[in-house]
Amino acid sequence: MTKKNVDRAVLALLIVMAVLLYYSTASFKGIAIKTSAKYVQFLAVFIGGLSVVQLGHSLLKERSYDLLILTENWPRFLALLISLIAFALVFEHLGFFLPAAIFIPLVSYLLGYRRPVVIGLTTVGVLGFVYLVFVQMLSVNLPGVTY
Amino acid sequence: MMEYLAIVFSGPALLTIAIGTIAGVAIGGMPGLTATMAVGLLVPFTYTMDPTMGLMLLGGIYCGAMYGGSIPAILLNTPGTPAAVATAIEGYPMSKKGHAGMALKVSVIASFVGGSFSVFILLLFAPVLARQALAFGPAETFLLALMGLAGIISIADENSSLIKALIAGLLGMIIAVVGTDDMSGSQRYTMGLIELVDGVDFMPALIGLFSMIQMFELAGMHVQKVDTSTLHKKQKSEPMPKGISKHIALGSGTGTVIGILPGEGATIAAFISYNLSKRISKTKELFGKGNPEGIAAAEAGNNGCVGGSLVPTLTLGIPGNSVAAALMGAFIIHGMIPGPDLFTEYADRTYPFIISMFVANGVFLIVGLAFAPYLARIALIPPAIMVPVVSAFAVLGSYALNNSVFDVYLMIAFALGGLVLKKLGFSLEALILGLILGPIAEGGFTQGMIIGHGSPWIFFESNIAKVMWMIILLLLIPPLYSYYKLVRGKAVTG
Repeated sequence: MTKKNVDRAVLALLIVMAVLLYYSTASFKGIAIKTSAKYVQFLAVFIGGLSVVQLGHSLLKERSYDLLILTENWPRFLALLISLIAFALVFEHLGFFLPAAIFIPLVSYLLGYRRPVVIGLTTVGVLGFVYLVFVQMLSVNLPGVTY
Repeated sequence: MMEYLAIVFSGPALLTIAIGTIAGVAIGGMPGLTATMAVGLLVPFTYTMDPTMGLMLLGGIYCGAMYGGSIPAILLNTPGTPAAVATAIEGYPMSKKGHAGMALKVSVIASFVGGSFSVFILLLFAPVLARQALAFGPAETFLLALMGLAGIISIADENSSLIKALIAGLLGMIIAVVGTDDMSGSQRYTMGLIELVDGVDFMPALIGLFSMIQMFELAGMHVQKVDTSTLHKKQKSEPMPKGISKHIALGSGTGTVIGILPGEGATIAAFISYNLSKRISKTKELFGKGNPEGIAAAEAGNNGCVGGSLVPTLTLGIPGNSVAAALMGAFIIHGMIPGPDLFTEYADRTYPFIISMFVANGVFLIVGLAFAPYLARIALIPPAIMVPVVSAFAVLGSYALNNSVFDVYLMIAFALGGLVLKKLGFSLEALILGLILGPIAEGGFTQGMIIGHGSPWIFFESNIAKVMWMIILLLLIPPLYSYYKLVRGKAVTG
């Protein structure tokens, strides 16, 4: 997809959001009608107006056909994203140290690093550092450390 | 004052400052990692710490990271932070010629002077300015937030257009609207999610936009080979160049003033200081080929930004830049709302924090003079090692504040959404400033409307309000004029 088209889609979404935001203030009750509603309307009008101006500028002036490149390496990008979500899912139940002990070497490997000794030492070093500095020295409560 | 000094010069405090500063230098030395990322990432961890110690740790990281970026910039032509780009322009050619030792010495001394000067200005003026804030009513508070928004306009650069910077700022303010309406107590835009009742937390947004986003970028980036030949050259000890103090002083003053302006960051401070130095230099022809005067001005400039950026942050609650915004988050989570209270009720925390930054400057001076050539190797850490480590901290930091996995998802959502917006040229700094300024603006606006019985004239009545409108206009004119010239220039050439 070209950058120009994504840009226009985002601006169009912002305009729709601004309209919805403006009309949503009709549901505000009591004192909020004369206070918060006015503030939200102020924001809606400005963001909507500016998005219209920017969209108009893009439609009239933008001639570029550059592609929107979010990342140069999708497999690695997705590997990080999926690992991150998995890490977030399990670490509430298992605490920080065990999931991190798997997450750090796994992501290093998925990102293409192939030196197990360095990966292992880094993992142990980071976890040791977190334990000594955060838990012991700075008394930070990390989830799951106590069990 | 003696009691504050006693707090700072106690064993645990000195150790905390030293850890923070050295960690800051290391983080600043890693390309892709910034001071905002480090401070933002560590703010939640300070929640369970003693507030003074926590703030000292973050202050040390801020000071250290601002200097740390210059080391790989000089030795490897790889600026650790964007603020060190100007340093690389002069520093790397000096290293190539065998003067890396002198370049590193100039860099650390200029950073120390710039940083210390700006903290001195903070110590001198912040309490005075904070006292003025006592006279502020809701109308003035709203105008204060508008001043911050005026700063958003100045964030616009060649990568983010002026209109897009404003849109990003407004988007941040709209995100801040989510949650409970202070006026009526009703829920707004929470989509039935109980986690959003208190609004979108600022910390997951900050970590997502400034830490995780960089990890996603690094993960998908092709690794470039860095020329390490200068690391192996023998460093000879050379005296400081004559006349360099003039450029350090220029950078220190410029950086501090630019830091005070809302929205202006260390990168702009470094470049403006560098350009001014070039103008007054007697050896203009050496600029770009390895002139220590350029390093002196740029490094004093970006470190001068540190104390300067904290002046509006601590006194008015308007962050001078994104790092200051993250630091403001640390104050807020400890129940210390920026303003006059920081210098009265919480003086026993605020003053030691400020004084600790003098110590932090001293720590990086010693570290820089003794170990700088070795620290440059930090820049060679492969992204595949750095990314998972920082990501693990990002998850932990987002979770730690509210013990909420929802905040982790929020952080990931901000990182992905922010990445798209960044690639499209929207300013993420403006987005985060909008998120911070949103509640301040809304509180001032709604209370002002009540006091003014629904009339907006209340925002123009008081003398303070009139002065603030003038300042807002003064803040708007230069960026609008620059933008006009830019658009006109494009129209002529296009």
